[in-house]
Amino acid sequence: MSISAVRRLILTGLLIAIGAALSFASPAFFTVGNLMTLLQEASQTGIVAVGFTLVLITAGIDMSIGAIIAVTAMLCVNFLYYTHLPAYLFIPVALAGGCAIGWFNGFVITRFKLPEFIVTLATRGLLTGLALIIAVKDADGFVKNVFIEDPLFLRFGGAIGPVYFIIPVFFALAAATQFFLKRTRAGTNVYATGANPAAARLSGINTARTLVGVYMFSGFCAALAAVFLSARMMTAMPEFGIGSEMDVIAAVVIGGTPFTGGVGDIWGTVIGTLFLATIKNGILKLGLSPYIQPIAIGGIIVVVVVVDVWYKGFAEAVAARAARQKRLLDGEGA
Amino acid sequence: MNGMNDDLLLCAGIDKSYNGPQVLSGVDFSLRRGEIHSLVGENGAGKSTLVKILTGVTQRDRGSMVFDGREIPLEHGRTAAQALGIAVIYQELSLIHGMTVAQNIFLTREPLLPGLRLIDRGKMNRMAQELIDRYGFRLRATDVIDGLSIGQRQTVEILKALSGKASLMIMDEPTSSLTAAESAQLFEIIRLLKARGITVLYISHRMEEVYQLSDRVTVLRDGRKVAVLEREQISPAEIIRLMIGRSLTGRESGNRMVRSSGEPVLEVEGLCAEGRLVDITFQVRRGEVLGFGGLVGSGRTELMRTIYGIDPFQAGRIRYLGKPYVPSVARSIAGGYGFVPEERRLQGIMGGLSITGNIGIANLDASSGRFGLVSGGKELDHARQAITLLNVKPADPDIPVGNLSGGNQQKVVVGKWLIRDLKLLIVDEPTVGIDIGAKEEMYQTLRRLADSGVAVIIVSSDLAELTRLSDRILVLRKGRIVREFAEGTVTEEDVLMASSGILQEVPP
Repeated sequence: MSISAVRRLILTGLLIAIGAALSFASPAFFTVGNLMTLLQEASQTGIVAVGFTLVLITAGIDMSIGAIIAVTAMLCVNFLYYTHLPAYLFIPVALAGGCAIGWFNGFVITRFKLPEFIVTLATRGLLTGLALIIAVKDADGFVKNVFIEDPLFLRFGGAIGPVYFIIPVFFALAAATQFFLKRTRAGTNVYATGANPAAARLSGINTARTLVGVYMFSGFCAALAAVFLSARMMTAMPEFGIGSEMDVIAAVVIGGTPFTGGVGDIWGTVIGTLFLATIKNGILKLGLSPYIQPIAIGGIIVVVVVVDVWYKGFAEAVAARAARQKRLLDGEGA
Repeated sequence: MNGMNDDLLLCAGIDKSYNGPQVLSGVDFSLRRGEIHSLVGENGAGKSTLVKILTGVTQRDRGSMVFDGREIPLEHGRTAAQALGIAVIYQELSLIHGMTVAQNIFLTREPLLPGLRLIDRGKMNRMAQELIDRYGFRLRATDVIDGLSIGQRQTVEILKALSGKASLMIMDEPTSSLTAAESAQLFEIIRLLKARGITVLYISHRMEEVYQLSDRVTVLRDGRKVAVLEREQISPAEIIRLMIGRSLTGRESGNRMVRSSGEPVLEVEGLCAEGRLVDITFQVRRGEVLGFGGLVGSGRTELMRTIYGIDPFQAGRIRYLGKPYVPSVARSIAGGYGFVPEERRLQGIMGGLSITGNIGIANLDASSGRFGLVSGGKELDHARQAITLLNVKPADPDIPVGNLSGGNQQKVVVGKWLIRDLKLLIVDEPTVGIDIGAKEEMYQTLRRLADSGVAVIIVSSDLAELTRLSDRILVLRKGRIVREFAEGTVTEEDVLMASSGILQEVPP
């Protein structure tokens, strides 16, 4: 079995074990209501994480995802407040806005050959300010809390029976993206670009176009998450999503997509997202302070990265040893 | 042979210069359909330039090229070369890790499901397996690249070229990182390709391979074609004679070895490192320049890394200055070793730092005071000292080393060690990528160091340099010392013969 398959099995086992332990520890954990809330929270992070996984597979990073959520959420509210246009018209506009920001990221990175981190960090700053500027203000210039009343828009925050609408959307998006990665040429190009850009170019892959596409998709996913978030909150604030990068990065890294590129997939991210949401939910259900959530997340990232690096080094050492032995035998045989 | 149709490639009068020095002058070169043709020559003879011209990586200045009956314009590009069916098996393998054999073979050309833009994975694996089976390789289409040996990865590269309908396959030193068994397999594959009508252009320093494989051999020397040998004319000794080509008269013919009588600085006995070094025994004395010859991959660099303390070893003893010694980088530096690595840009310099910074980094102990604070003044003194000693140009300690010429960069790397109490200096490829004037200065510097009592070890692929500089030469082959040249006259030819395993093995 490959390294990544073993890893996934361990992670899934751990997730089930933690879930079982929480069910014993707190009667409030294993209820339909709580599990649906957990899945709903997971989906909120997960939608963004799907796009982010593709960025990470190309060995890039997108620091602007949180700020894209803020700006596109404000975009929705602006449309509602000023134009009173119906939701089916402006939701596509918000999603296109997310794509456009992603295109800008990708264009600047590939055109000027700049580090992804710096470019998207700069975009993050730009968008954070922009979200505040375009926010609807009251007479004193303070950000005004606009309540969303569009019924179609609010449906996004609703549920079908006990199942929140966002949950099937997340799983459908994850399935479609996984399929795209594994079964299309464009998906193959994403892996090739991350694993070995020089070899990818030699094989005729347009790596610049691949990168631009990946950042556009990341922007799209963030905008989609913004729509669901605003709909559930029935309002939008310019600080929506800011700081949520932490959860997204944690979910993807726990899921087994490393920062080095070329490896990883969406199933891992789905498991990572569920893992993270379970930990966060468990902390609350155990009656612990919510302030320890970020500490737990940070700690988990450190542990996962350390174990990953150790395990990879260990596996490589074993392989290198086997190869050397074989070489020695060959040498003597020849 | 009846005329044009037997020739796959005809080049005539190829000229090429890289801003100044002429790399190729008036080279005629031809390949017959379905032959295995070797291209040989010393380092810098123009082999790789010729290959780059064929594959469209660089453009020729003059001369005509006809491939498969079609005239190739001066503006030949990489894509055009690929479209013609010219494929290169890259030395640094260009495969995508994490992907399967089939995915790599068909990258960007994956078979799609009819009417859809989805990859037909079943068909892709079947097509790849058919291709593998047709050539009888031991591979599975669904194997992931990461788990394959270097030899198997090379096979995948060859399959990738085959699936793209290559008619000419260029292999540049394909065996340099292969084991003996893997090399034998590769030769089988090359013969198989020939049997299927594919022309193979083979580039290697290993004479026995060239001898075993080739239908014809083209010898290049100093950018000119010296000879084309037919099958029956090929003999390793003849090829080496043509490659070196200097008339064997006067002092040009070889260099007298000088036996040094100084006390031993480093004594190595029975050194073995798994898969890299076998039973290495030698010593180097004060005031001696000891040269290590051998082909790339013969274990020279590995030996240097081991005695410096970078790589571990399993068996054997090392004595340094008469005392038992277990090398580690920190102990080696403190004990008076100097090490100038092969990859200057990667391992020797920090390009963004000034001369002062680069020299300072290896001498922090000498320039720091009681509290571990580094004295800028002392560092500057060290830098000035090294600049004067080695004649670094420009003589400005503040200039970033990355901005210096190759020769001056190398001087800075050597300079890092010179201002210490140096007892042993190891230099791996001292003059690669350095212009002739700077080479001469480097030789004088190394000689001067030896005369002042330092034991100097050099590793060089440049035979002229090795024979000229060394007082004694040890030749490595497959991780063993196969020959010592300690006295009398030694020629470049002798060293190359020993490296290639032609000269009878006489262990020192």
